[in-house]
Amino acid sequence: MKKNDYLYLDHAASTPMREVAFEAYKKTESVAFANSSGGHELSRRAKNILEDSRDQIADHFGAAPKEITFTSGGTEADNWIIKMPFINNQNKNAELVTSAIEHEAVLGSAEWVESLGYKVHLTGCNNLGVIQTEDVLKNINSNTEIVSIMLANNETGVIQPIKEISQSIKNLNYDLIFHSDVVQAVATTKIDFHNLGIQSAAISGHKIGGPKGIGIMFLSSEAKIPSFLHGGKQELERRAGTVNVSGVASLSAALGEQQQNMEIQNQKIQKERCEFEDLIKSKLDVMVIGETVSRLDHISNIQFKGIHSETLMVALDLHGLGVSRGSACASGAQKPSHVLQAMNISSDYINSHLRFSFGWSTQVGDGIKAANIVISSIQGMR
Amino acid sequence: MRVLVAMSGGVDSSVVAGLLKSQGHEVIGVTMKLWEGPNGEMPETGCCTASDSEDARKVAAKLDIPYYVLDYTESFSEKVVDNFIDMYAQGLTPNPCVECNRSVKFDHFMKQAKKLNCDKVATGHYAKIIKNNENYELHKADYLEKDQSYVLHMLNSATLENVIFPLGTISKPEVRQIAADLGLKTAFKKDSQDICFVGKKNYRDFVDKRIDISTSGEIVDNNGQSMGRHEGVHEFTVGQRKGIPGGQGAPKYVTKIDVQNKKVYVGNRKELLTSVFYLEDTSFVNTVETEKLSIQTRYNSENLPCEIEILENNKLKVTLLEPTLGVAPGQFGVLYIGTKLIGGGRITANLNEKLSV
Repeated sequence: MKKNDYLYLDHAASTPMREVAFEAYKKTESVAFANSSGGHELSRRAKNILEDSRDQIADHFGAAPKEITFTSGGTEADNWIIKMPFINNQNKNAELVTSAIEHEAVLGSAEWVESLGYKVHLTGCNNLGVIQTEDVLKNINSNTEIVSIMLANNETGVIQPIKEISQSIKNLNYDLIFHSDVVQAVATTKIDFHNLGIQSAAISGHKIGGPKGIGIMFLSSEAKIPSFLHGGKQELERRAGTVNVSGVASLSAALGEQQQNMEIQNQKIQKERCEFEDLIKSKLDVMVIGETVSRLDHISNIQFKGIHSETLMVALDLHGLGVSRGSACASGAQKPSHVLQAMNISSDYINSHLRFSFGWSTQVGDGIKAANIVISSIQGMR
Repeated sequence: MRVLVAMSGGVDSSVVAGLLKSQGHEVIGVTMKLWEGPNGEMPETGCCTASDSEDARKVAAKLDIPYYVLDYTESFSEKVVDNFIDMYAQGLTPNPCVECNRSVKFDHFMKQAKKLNCDKVATGHYAKIIKNNENYELHKADYLEKDQSYVLHMLNSATLENVIFPLGTISKPEVRQIAADLGLKTAFKKDSQDICFVGKKNYRDFVDKRIDISTSGEIVDNNGQSMGRHEGVHEFTVGQRKGIPGGQGAPKYVTKIDVQNKKVYVGNRKELLTSVFYLEDTSFVNTVETEKLSIQTRYNSENLPCEIEILENNKLKVTLLEPTLGVAPGQFGVLYIGTKLIGGGRITANLNEKLSV
């Protein structure tokens, strides 16, 4: 295998930067490198690019520009929204409601909130990976401060009934903030925050072909959350620190291309994924998660019966196919997925799953090519 | 050929990967994650620490070979750590590194290699494999100072057929030189000594926290006269002087641990002399040979001439030609003829007594 033949199906972890994003980054750094908070011509150029980008980005999500704050990524946005309402909260009985299948950024923040002595409710999901609205509702009361439920799961791609949840929880407690981590969903769905009834959301640039290190926190103008980073008065005094204008411009360019081409792009991705799954299903004893529920077009989480996924992942890598188990830990070794555990996947199979994720740069034929690598790798293991 | 190399991040296994790569083999590097702390962190001391796996990754990158960290924490915890605690609780002196080779490392590593279609596995152990007709023999390394055949005694001919130990014929200084020549950053790294899951802490604290029953009791002399109390039998191993009440004239040593009655027996140095003991869970590289045998009763201890008698149930009786000090139940007895390793087993609790088989 030559290194440039490497087939990449781990777009859910990070997808390559789009050409327009590279261009926008380079252009901004060269003509508008100055600090966007300064008082001279070059700063104004930077500030103009920043605000134009904010307008365009807000537009894609049906939001007002002032509802968009730029962060270092999805993790920062999740941490901000989930933690800050519990700092100096006058109500010692304030509660957080989230789900057991959230991204680590949310679960880690929730754990921290719990360590402060606040009550945290973790809602489970059914065995298809769908969070049940009534289970969320059971945990809502007048003390609920934040509800955080992801729009689609990053390991399985299963889409959650966010609109239904947002409407029902607001009937019980109108003042709570409904936060949604949409980091994975945004790769292949059009999102209108207000229409979904979301008050805050986290988005990451590198999942849509923008650069790493830039993200978006959406916060509805009706919701108030204290600042996380203090210092300068950037970002409408919400977030201190020199704004990464080139990153913002680059993210905006990536998002523009992605939103414009989404329908065609999703059709292409879906076709590759279906061909991939069909071929695998015809040759191997597998189970594909989320086949009977609504699922993101780009994610395929497959259970290979009797195969240890760690070994399969290594074998696929050696054959030139890069995939993942869904959640990586710093040292490289991996633990059973908390998402699959929440789905009650039997312990016999929990270490037999791999996530294949397609993206904007996936080529026609990649699905079949990948399926053949998987099939021959597994046959070679026996 | 395709070779799976166990890379600990130390200089030895780094050089193995480098040598095999330079000989034109397709090398795949693997670090086995065996133990982790409560938050999933890797150990800080021993043979597979977080910084070691980082070193291994860097070496693999330098050599341009694929590299993976694979997780065996579950079976390590069950087969090595639990066993380590059990053995101390029984008044034995465990050897977790041998136990790990025996029941975790090689087993998983060979299986992994097979699944990845590797022709051979390689490690940085100092030991030699010699093919003699149809049999694969295990020998001491040429560089005796570092010989590690003792910890590999459980490997049999069929396993050895699939293993290579490239360091069997080179010395440690040569290994460091090769590492330096290859530009590997691990060239002058210190060797690891600590038990990976205990670390720099005292192993007794580690065991203390994990034993829920009290094993405290009496310290007695050979006549059964009480000499004081002890805090738990796991605090003692045979041959130990520390923790025994002083003022007895000649120095006293632990001579026997009676776990059932929670009694620690102490006596004079000469009472530690052992000439007959038994091995259990024995295994042999090839068929058993009984002529001109010698035995090592600890890692890197000297070889003592002995005779053996094979008993039922994988046990055997060892008779030393000259009695020796410090045969510790729980350690392994490993038999050699010259440099050739014959086999070995765990030293049983009842030293100097007739074994009921």
